[in-house]
Amino acid sequence: MPKQEFDVLIVGSGHSGGMAAQVLTQKGISCLMLDAGPEVNLATNRVSKNPWELPYRGMNKPGRLPHVVQANEFNANQWVDEKEIPYTHDPASPYNWVRVRMLGGRSLFWGRQSFRMSDWEFKSLDKEGVGDNWPISHADLDPFYSKVEGIFRVSGRKEGKAHFPDGNFLDADYGPDSTTVKKITEIAQGRGYLVSKIRASNGRNGQASSVNLLLPEAMATGKLQIVPNAIVRELTVDKNTGKVNGANFLDRHSKQELHVKARVVVLAAGSLESVRLLMNSGLANSSGMLGRYIIDQLYGVQVVASVPEARGGSAAEGLMGGTALLPRFRNLQKGEKNNFSKGYGMMIASGGAAQPGFFADYGESLQKKLDFHSGACMTASIYGERLPRFENHVRINKLVKDAWGIPVLHAEVKDSANEHNMAKDAADTAEDMLKAAGWDILSKTDKFHPPGYSIHEVGGARMGDDPKKSVLNKWNQSHDVKNLFQVDGGCFVTCGWQNTTLTMMALAMRSAEYLAEQMKTGVI
Amino acid sequence: MQAIAAAPAVPALVTPALVTQQNMQAQTAPARPAGPLASGKRDAVGEPVARFFSATQLAALHRLCELLMPPMGGNPGAIEAGVPEFLDFHVGQSPADRQQMYRSGLELLNSRSAAKFGKAFAALDATQADAIIRPLLVLVPWQFELPKEPGARFMAAAHDDIRVATRNSREWTQAAIAAGRRPVGAQLYFFPVDPVYKG
Repeated sequence: MPKQEFDVLIVGSGHSGGMAAQVLTQKGISCLMLDAGPEVNLATNRVSKNPWELPYRGMNKPGRLPHVVQANEFNANQWVDEKEIPYTHDPASPYNWVRVRMLGGRSLFWGRQSFRMSDWEFKSLDKEGVGDNWPISHADLDPFYSKVEGIFRVSGRKEGKAHFPDGNFLDADYGPDSTTVKKITEIAQGRGYLVSKIRASNGRNGQASSVNLLLPEAMATGKLQIVPNAIVRELTVDKNTGKVNGANFLDRHSKQELHVKARVVVLAAGSLESVRLLMNSGLANSSGMLGRYIIDQLYGVQVVASVPEARGGSAAEGLMGGTALLPRFRNLQKGEKNNFSKGYGMMIASGGAAQPGFFADYGESLQKKLDFHSGACMTASIYGERLPRFENHVRINKLVKDAWGIPVLHAEVKDSANEHNMAKDAADTAEDMLKAAGWDILSKTDKFHPPGYSIHEVGGARMGDDPKKSVLNKWNQSHDVKNLFQVDGGCFVTCGWQNTTLTMMALAMRSAEYLAEQMKTGVI
Repeated sequence: MQAIAAAPAVPALVTPALVTQQNMQAQTAPARPAGPLASGKRDAVGEPVARFFSATQLAALHRLCELLMPPMGGNPGAIEAGVPEFLDFHVGQSPADRQQMYRSGLELLNSRSAAKFGKAFAALDATQADAIIRPLLVLVPWQFELPKEPGARFMAAAHDDIRVATRNSREWTQAAIAAGRRPVGAQLYFFPVDPVYKG
């Protein structure tokens, strides 16, 4: 019996796929969503436990998730099993690909920081001579950012700065700044740096995921079917037209292969997973750019200082607590000279604890030091922007296959002097500011995690006006295959210092509205 | 529920005699407790059996645990928390490089102790042991990168493991509760997700 042909097949159910589904179904377009993982009820799938109740005392099964630094024994089951779905890299160039396979994807677990990108990122080449420009600007994305901010109930403080664009914010009650936050704010402002506050998605009922904010709206239209445990092996193509006409997918449990028909395919499986699917399908790569320019953000640099007046539990009320966010402040001024391009944001948190490694000591003597500095620490950490580079890429490794027989990715992504110089500048700058406040440095490091760690991997199918230099056009539409879209982070041309999710959702919404219009007018 | 209600009855398979017997059992059997039947905890009933380290390595690890994490502030120390035996298990389950780091590190403690004091690390008093431990302790400003020098690398890793395993122990939680302090460390545990059918 011939099966239904859907208007649109959406692969992936996270923030991007959920946004595409919501927009398209609300415009009357029938959608099928395939997700590689099961539907999980977070309310019943989690239970509070003490570490000693777990087999490994909370210290995790050794070697279980070598690339997921964020994993511990409590959350290990939420991440993709690296043995089941491996990827490869040169041991000398580690890449941390952190994945989730369940309905809602990583939207179930994200940190909710919600910053817009600015034209310092969208027009990087024009403004700084670095990388390439996106084919769109902040002005193009502004109305979509506003709508997404409304859906996700983003709170924030408006600053009126072009490099840190304001949005459609709920009023945020940050409370009064502590004395230490006021002090570091004065020092940073004295150097000409903007000091702001975290902007975050509040969501609803404790969640800000695709599963509670996007997919229910789409389901309510009656136009969306969601099939879990459906692992897409490859997209299929009409040989007469060259257009995609559906996909072959495998049942996660039985591995039975099935084919589904659709007029349009929208990929939203995550930047690298979508690229892997395109590569395994032999599609959308006439430019040779598919899999190129893999980027993410640089995390790990940290400087910790101790506030003398707060040591030994002596902090007066209002001295400690709260945070200061310094949006990117480097290389924004013409003529500014640094030994690196682009920049980094910085978070300074008041009231933390020292770590044992800060002292070459042990036993009671160490514990006294830890107790002495407990609650008295100021911790500076950064969100650094890595540069997009052609040579940083992923490709198919045909020698290795996942549990469903699908060839895996090989990642070849390396840092350069730019990242190392940026990290050193960030550590030096943080140390300098903390010292200027009269606080004692306990620890300083300019080390940082390997690429991928931030879980903000983007690029690999970058957008552009020139089909010879880009995979997607400014509408997230394949240059090569007009009824094929990729609406996750694959389209990013630069990654910025900002958390990427808000921008991904705004782009997905914009692309889906365009697609709906094209389908309505019969262009697609 | 609907499936059960719709299932066809099979009265012919249940003889009157069996029904009577079952009813009698039901009347005489004690009521099932409200909670789970299997509520015992492994750590509460069993002593861990060390299998991985040699006797001299394990003795050195015991002494190291005593010194690095003694009982403090009403909390149990690493020995009371069974950390040496736990680490014997945990390291024994680990990739080869971690196993080698531990074995070499414990042997290093013993060889330096023998060279300096003519006895094993486990037999050193606190002052003597301090002379072995101190040179191996270095600052670790970034917890994600251990020192490169093998001895310092072992000491940093073991120190961290001993502290975490102690604080994460059942004994630590019990001491906190007994002292009226809020136990730390409880988190939401994520159950395995609909595992792939292996056949």
